[in-house]
Amino acid sequence: MAERFVSRRNLEFLLYEVHRVERLSAQPYFSDHSRETYDLVLDTAMKIARDLMYPHLQEMDQKAPVLENGQVKVHPAIKGIMKEWGEGGWIAASMPYEVGGQQLPTAVATACNYVFAAANFSSTGFPLLTAGAAHLILSYGSDDLKETYAPRMLAGEWQGTMALTEPQAGSSLSDIVTRAEPTDGGYYRIRGQKIFISAGDHDAAGNIVHMMLAKIKGGPPGAKGISLFLVPKNRIKSDGMLEPNDVTVATVYHKLGYRGCPITQLSMGENDDCRGYLVGEPHKGLSYMFQMMNEARLAVGMQAASIASAAYYAALEYAKERPQGRKISSKDPLQPQIPIIEHADVRRMLLFQRGVVEGSLSLILQCCTYSDLSRTEDVEQSQRYALLLDLLTPVAKSYPSESGILAVSQGLQILGGYGYCQEFPLEQYYRDIRIHAIHEGTTGIQALDLLGRKVVMKNGQAMRLFLEEVGAVVQEAAQDSELSPYAERLKGALDTLGQVTMRQVQFALQGDVETFLADATLYLELFSIVTIAWQWLAQGIVARKALDAGCSPLDAQFYQGKIHAMRYFFHYEGPKTAGLAARLMEADGLTVNMTAAAFDD
Amino acid sequence: MKSLVCLKQVPDTETQIKVNPDGTGIVTEGIKYVINPYDEFSVEEALRLKEKFKAGEVLILSIGPDRATEAIRTALAMGADKGIHISDESLNNSDPFVIAQALAAAAAQTEYDIIFCGHRAIDDDFGEAGAMLAELLKLPQVTLVTKVDIADDKTKAIVERDVEGGKETVEVPLPCVLTSQKGLNEPRYASLPGIMKAKKKPIDKKTAADLGISPEPKLRSNAYSMPPERTAGKKFEGMEPPDVAKAVVQALRNEAKVI
Ligand SMILES: Cc1cc2nc3c(=O)[nH]c(=O)nc-3n(C[C@H](O)[C@H](O)[C@H](O)COP(=O)(O)OP(=O)(O)OC[C@H]3O[C@@H](n4cnc5c(N)ncnc54)[C@H](O)[C@@H]3O)c2cc1C
Repeated sequence: MAERFVSRRNLEFLLYEVHRVERLSAQPYFSDHSRETYDLVLDTAMKIARDLMYPHLQEMDQKAPVLENGQVKVHPAIKGIMKEWGEGGWIAASMPYEVGGQQLPTAVATACNYVFAAANFSSTGFPLLTAGAAHLILSYGSDDLKETYAPRMLAGEWQGTMALTEPQAGSSLSDIVTRAEPTDGGYYRIRGQKIFISAGDHDAAGNIVHMMLAKIKGGPPGAKGISLFLVPKNRIKSDGMLEPNDVTVATVYHKLGYRGCPITQLSMGENDDCRGYLVGEPHKGLSYMFQMMNEARLAVGMQAASIASAAYYAALEYAKERPQGRKISSKDPLQPQIPIIEHADVRRMLLFQRGVVEGSLSLILQCCTYSDLSRTEDVEQSQRYALLLDLLTPVAKSYPSESGILAVSQGLQILGGYGYCQEFPLEQYYRDIRIHAIHEGTTGIQALDLLGRKVVMKNGQAMRLFLEEVGAVVQEAAQDSELSPYAERLKGALDTLGQVTMRQVQFALQGDVETFLADATLYLELFSIVTIAWQWLAQGIVARKALDAGCSPLDAQFYQGKIHAMRYFFHYEGPKTAGLAARLMEADGLTVNMTAAAFDD
Repeated sequence: MKSLVCLKQVPDTETQIKVNPDGTGIVTEGIKYVINPYDEFSVEEALRLKEKFKAGEVLILSIGPDRATEAIRTALAMGADKGIHISDESLNNSDPFVIAQALAAAAAQTEYDIIFCGHRAIDDDFGEAGAMLAELLKLPQVTLVTKVDIADDKTKAIVERDVEGGKETVEVPLPCVLTSQKGLNEPRYASLPGIMKAKKKPIDKKTAADLGISPEPKLRSNAYSMPPERTAGKKFEGMEPPDVAKAVVQALRNEAKVI
């Protein structure tokens, strides 16, 4: 049976037709690349995903990592996967040639990661964290740290992590208490606890390199006193050999999903012999870490969309093959049953999945394209793209994560009772996707980031650019008679978003920040629907043009399917903006003013 | 060690093949093409020989329409050095004899210590090109190869091949033609650096005229058809196990006529 977890055709549509990544080759950084390279890169990613990663999906879920004699043991396939990602150049894909990268646009690299994650999400945690950590070292580390650590990480030999969270400090990183004490030896002595650290220890890597936030003794309180340290599991002796660095694994957690990747609790300095190497300047750690966090947030959105993609294709295949019931209009029991895809309600569920999956992927690739475009030497343009990326990152992280949960749930629903059982992958996808609304900043935190920071930053400049970008698509769609009703709807939603934003910001201006941000998550939801509708309309424009220009029957079917899915999004998801806006305009502080005691009944 | 690898681009095994309405071929629109899996074993083996001898060359030879360049490029991205792409309308969709003649003519213009072919291509399943090529070049051949050891002086190879239920080990002088079978190796994936390098590696385009051949096919395909749809199975219910067993045996003997 052909196992399908992504659509190659859709990836090409989004990369080449909608986001036009070939135009990036005009920039010196990407000038060696062309569609021919991208196609070959995608071919290879598809092959690796299918042959090397997908076959272990289920087993990695069933045989979760274990802690044995202080060492976490992961599924043996991880070693081969890390090796391939390293030797094949996937970890360094978008990094510069000088460090062994291939300067691939992040849009293309992300498309490949999407393919990998759709095949086996858990296994992508290892190399993606390693890539982010290595990038952090290369951006802010000393030459010594760069030379010692980055090459081995990019080769897939050593694992990188982000070690932020502590038992008492998750969302609120300013409250971390891990301590760093300066020494004369060119290192700091680290003491503290970190919790939930992904890939924080395992036997598929020769060493683990933690990018760890800690506070230097005597530094300023809160976020301004956070510094970034490189804390290896094993440090390197003067003879080049490794020796333990007093990092102990206290626990490996049993969890709902994402079971192929170990989540560890770490204890540093139990014997007062844990060395950390300062990255960059003291007290600037959080701002450095934001580079890795922002990359990771896009990666989380991408992973969520990829799981939802795998769930969609599994549900679609099932819906075509499962005979059950008859058309409402023909109840003759002597007639054979029809495949459930013939039922309107099942089609609704499939369309919802498509709406979420393809809308999310398009937004993520849009963000990646902004990131790639921001490499331009034109300073003003570069800032423009960077601002747009900044604004949209919380949306690209949280919409796929939250809606992805619902999309996978609908996929599972399509399989009925079978969806709930282990024989089909849906129940695993449902468990796997749940993490994405939690790690890398919960949805609540993304919402605060969007409304409390991004929308208002630089006097609302990013928001203005966003309105411009969406406005341009609205204008283009308005030229097409079939799309103009949708242009109209998006314009209406955009106006609503503008009004709601003004209303919320008024509270901020009045100094009532509690009311301002009380419903930030609803605001994020409203903002997300508008954003995804924009991405769908952009896809609709391309599809309409292609159909007008004339294309093969197979392509015509693809583009018509796109337009159907776009229409679904506008007719079924779009109207939700009205309800959200109605509530947001009330802004009465209902949740702010309630007492905690009122919950106890 | 110079290896010549004959490689065919074929539809991906995951592609749903449909016969075109007039039954003259398959519908090609929307097909994703890949390197014939048996030829991937050949590429891998050739790369390993080059790595083992720390010298030499892996030359890819492919016949096919323009799109076949993708397959050659993929082999170059795996690490092969050069490609020859024979692209000629008169050779597309031709029979194994014509293909073997073209391969032989192209091979005659190159240098090699060994030639690899897949033991068959998964699209038309003829499995003849390798053997015919060896005949035309008057070279010894070993088919269904699962292990290759080349003597240090490169005069002979010790080769393991599949035989019914086991293995046969043969010694063959070089140059020779080997046809690769599953089990020969685990082909590597192309790497990103490999893909970037592959862009700059040469692919020599040739026509039938360049090869000095105007071959006549010996086979003509008259019609293509899909296998009949699988009919529904038969259920044996409401019987005691010994009776079910009897009924199944009878059905297999009398109805299905398979035992
Ligand atoms: C599988 C997994 C992998 C992880 N991987 C890593 C990793 O690799 N590295 C790492 O450092 N961490 C990692 N984490 C930790 C993760 O980032 C945190 O769990 C997350 O940031 C939330 O922190 P918390 O669990 O302490 O919850 P809390 O911060 O206690 O939050 C609990 C709830 O309160 C809400 N809340 C908290 N503060 C506010 C606020 N100010 N306003 C409104 N609502 C608020 C949150 O939205 C949430 O709903 C991982 C966690 C898991 C489960």
